Amino acid sequence: MVTADRPAFLGDRPMPYCRGCGHGLVARRLAEALGRLGLDASQVVLTSDIGCVGLVDPLFPSVHTVHTIHGRSTAVAAGAVLADTLLGEGRMKNVVMIGDGGATIGLLHLTQAALMNVDLTVLLHNNMLYGMTGGQHSALTPEGFVTSTTLAGNWLPALDMEQVLRGCHGGFYARQLATDRELADVIAEAIEFPGFALVEIFELCTGFGVPLNEMDGKTLRALAEADGRELGVRIRRPDRRPYHALYRERFPSRAGAPPAPAAAAPSSPFAHRLERSLGVVIAGSAGERVQTAAAVLTQAAVLSGLHCVQKNDYPVTVGSGFSLSEVKLCTEPILYTGIDEPDAVLIVSADGLREVKGRRDLDRLGPRGLVIVDESLAGELPPGRALAAPLRRTLRADAAALGAVALLVARTGVLARDAVLAAVDAVGGKDAGALRAAVEAAVPGG
Amino acid sequence: MTVRAEIRLRSGNQMVVEGALRAGCRFFSGYPITPASEIYREMTLQLQARGEVAVGAPDEISALCYCIGASQRGVKSMTATSGPGWALMIEAFQWALMTETPVVVAVVQRLGPSTGGATQGAQGDVLLTEFATSGGYTVPVFAPSTPLECFALTVQAFNWSEALRTPVVLLSDKEVAMTYEAVDLGALPDLPVWARPQAAGAGYRAVGFAAPDEVPPFAPLTGPLKVTLTGSAHNKDGWLRKNDPETLEVLHHLEAKVAARAGEMAMVTEDLDEDADTVVVSYGITARAAREAVRAARAAGRRVSFLGLLTLFPVPAGAVRAAVGDARRVVVAEENLGGLYRRVLAGVLPAVELRGVNRLGGMIRPAEILEAL
Repeated sequence: MVTADRPAFLGDRPMPYCRGCGHGLVARRLAEALGRLGLDASQVVLTSDIGCVGLVDPLFPSVHTVHTIHGRSTAVAAGAVLADTLLGEGRMKNVVMIGDGGATIGLLHLTQAALMNVDLTVLLHNNMLYGMTGGQHSALTPEGFVTSTTLAGNWLPALDMEQVLRGCHGGFYARQLATDRELADVIAEAIEFPGFALVEIFELCTGFGVPLNEMDGKTLRALAEADGRELGVRIRRPDRRPYHALYRERFPSRAGAPPAPAAAAPSSPFAHRLERSLGVVIAGSAGERVQTAAAVLTQAAVLSGLHCVQKNDYPVTVGSGFSLSEVKLCTEPILYTGIDEPDAVLIVSADGLREVKGRRDLDRLGPRGLVIVDESLAGELPPGRALAAPLRRTLRADAAALGAVALLVARTGVLARDAVLAAVDAVGGKDAGALRAAVEAAVPGG
Repeated sequence: MTVRAEIRLRSGNQMVVEGALRAGCRFFSGYPITPASEIYREMTLQLQARGEVAVGAPDEISALCYCIGASQRGVKSMTATSGPGWALMIEAFQWALMTETPVVVAVVQRLGPSTGGATQGAQGDVLLTEFATSGGYTVPVFAPSTPLECFALTVQAFNWSEALRTPVVLLSDKEVAMTYEAVDLGALPDLPVWARPQAAGAGYRAVGFAAPDEVPPFAPLTGPLKVTLTGSAHNKDGWLRKNDPETLEVLHHLEAKVAARAGEMAMVTEDLDEDADTVVVSYGITARAAREAVRAARAAGRRVSFLGLLTLFPVPAGAVRAAVGDARRVVVAEENLGGLYRRVLAGVLPAVELRGVNRLGGMIRPAEILEAL
C-alpha cells in the first residue's frame, strides 16, 4: 500500500493548480488508488478533458495519457475501451478526468457510456463553475451560487448527476468531497467496478468560487448535500453487466471472415435482343414491391450478360406514398446513370402516376416509348398512349409491378422469359414461388 | 461466353463496406443519416458476424470519437455520415489529425445547405471536407464514381490513413452511394493492404520523427511504450509546449508528411486525345456524365479529352497539368454552385480558360456538358 506523501504513479512535478484547488487532491487520491490496485502502468489510460482538469497528464509520467477535445473525453475513452475489451487483451483501465465543461458538453457521452455500461471510470471534478475561463456558471452551479456570470447568484438549480445516472441505469455512482479521507478507496472501487463508474467530486475553485462566495469546507459540504442529496457511494449495481460481455455473448469472436458461400458455377447467358440500351421507369406505391420488380428486371439483365443500373426513389416515410425505380440496361458499360428519355414507363398505382407526372417522365418518353399502366389508370392518360393491363385485378397489388415487368419483357422481347424466371429465383428469396406465379399469370404460357 | 456467377447488384455504399472489410477495418461506429445509412447497417451486420465491433452512437460526434479511441488502441476504424453529420464531426476530425490517429470518414454528400435534400445528390462538400481543418493542412480526400471505385478507394483511404497516420475522407455522393450496379465480386482488384508503422522500444518518442515528412511510429494504448496524445500544440514527447521550436516543427511535420506523398496519392482516370483543344475534368458521379459527353463530342468530330479525378486532395496537380497539356480550355463539371473544385484548379492551371458546368438539385446530364464544349 502506497500512502506516502508521493504515491506511486505521481511524478515529481509540482501541482500546477491554484493553491487550495481540489484538483491536486483528486490527483493524489487517484494515484493512491492506482497503487492500491497494483495496476501495471501500461494498463492505465488517463483520458483528460479541457480545462484545469486537463493539466493532469504530466503529473502521471508512467501511464498512457490522452488529452482530448472539450467534452469528448468520455466518448474517446469509450471507443478505446470497446476496442480493448472486444478486440484486445481487455486489460485497459481507463480513467476519464472531466470538469464542469466535460460534464455539460459531454453529457450525452456520459449518459450513453452509462447506458451501455462501458467499463471505464469518470472522475467529475465538480467545482460548480467553469474555472479556467474565468469562473462562469455551469449547469452544475448550485442555486444562489455567485459566479462571474451570475453576480447576483445563480437562479437555476444544479443538475443532479445522481438522478441522471439513475435514469441511465448507471452501475456505479459516488458523490464525494475532494477532502474526503475515503476518496482513494472510492476511486479504487470505481476503477474495479466492471462497468461504467462515475465519481462526482465536489471541490472549491479557489480562483473564482471562493472569492465570489463566502466559502469554507463546511459550505462545500452543505452545497454538496443540498436538496437532501447524500454523500458516499449512492449506486452500486453489480447486476448490470458490462457492454463488452453482452456484446461478446451475442457476437462470438471468430478468427477472420465467415466462410464465403461456395461460388456458383458460371452459367451461359440467356439470349437477349437489346440493341443498345433500355431505360425503364417503374412507378407504384410503397409496400407494393416496386423495387423487387425492378431488381428482377435488373437481375435478368445480369443473367443475360448485360450491364445495368438500378435506382430507387421513395419519400422519407418509406411506408407511404410512391415508390419508384429506374432501371437502365445496356450492351456497353454504363457511364451516365440517369434516364433522360425513358424507353418504357410502367405505372401500377395512382401514387406512381402522380410521381411520374411530377417528374414529367411521360413528356420525356422517346417516340417509340412504351407505357404500360394498370387498367384503373388508363383513363388518366391520353387515349391510345398506353398499354392498359388488369395488373392489380388479376395479380395482387404487390405483384402488379412485377407483372408489368413481365409484360414489358414479353412485349419488347429484349430479354428471355426464362431470364426473368431465373432472376425471380435469384432475388425472390422465400417469396420466389409467389413471384414466379405472378410472372406466369401476367404473361401465361411463355 | 459465360456470365460469371459472382456478378451481383451492389450499391456504392455496399462496395465501401467491401473495401473497408478488405482493408482490415475491425471497428465501425455510426449514426444513421441518408444517404450514408446503408454503410452503417451493412458494416454493423458484417462486423458483428465476424465477431468484430460495430457500435451505434447517440450522435455523429460520439461515432467519430469512438472510432478515434479504438484507433488509438490500434484498431482500424471507420465511420460514415453525410453533410449535417460531417459538420458535427469536424472538431474530432481535427483532433485525429493533431494526434496523428488514423481513421476513415466516409462522407456521402447530399443536397445542402443545412438539412437540404436527404435523398438528393450533390457535390457541395468538396471544400468543406478539405478545409475543415484550421491552419491549411491537407486532408486526403478520395472521390469514387462507380461501385468498383468505391471498393478500391476505400481500401486506399485506409491505406493512406494508416501509412500517414492521418484522418482521411472518402467523399462519395448520393448517386454513387445509392445506385445499384452489376459488380463482378469475383474480379475485385487485389489491392495491397497497408498497416501503420509500429514503434519499437529503442529511441521511442511519442512523436518520433527526424525529417519532417517522416511518419512517427505508432504505439497503441496499453502497449509497453507510454502513449502521450494531445490536441494541444506539442513537442516530440507529446507535451503541450508554447514558444518551443520543436512544437512548430511538429506542426509543420503534420503537413509535410502528407504533402511529400502527394504524387504517390494522385489517382485519376483518363481518356485523352493528345491534340485536344478542350479537356473535361470531373469527379464523383458527374465524371460519368462527363466521360459520356466527351465520347459524344468526339463522335461529332471534336478533339476533347476526359480527366476523372479519384484523388481530390492532395490536388493531383502533376496529373492534371499532364492531362491538360497544350489544351487551351478546361471544362469542370460538378454539382455545386460556383464550381468548388474549379476554384482549386484555377491555382493549378493559371493560363488556361476554365469554364464550369454546374447544377444544383439533380445530376448533370451529358447534354449539358456537351453544350459547354
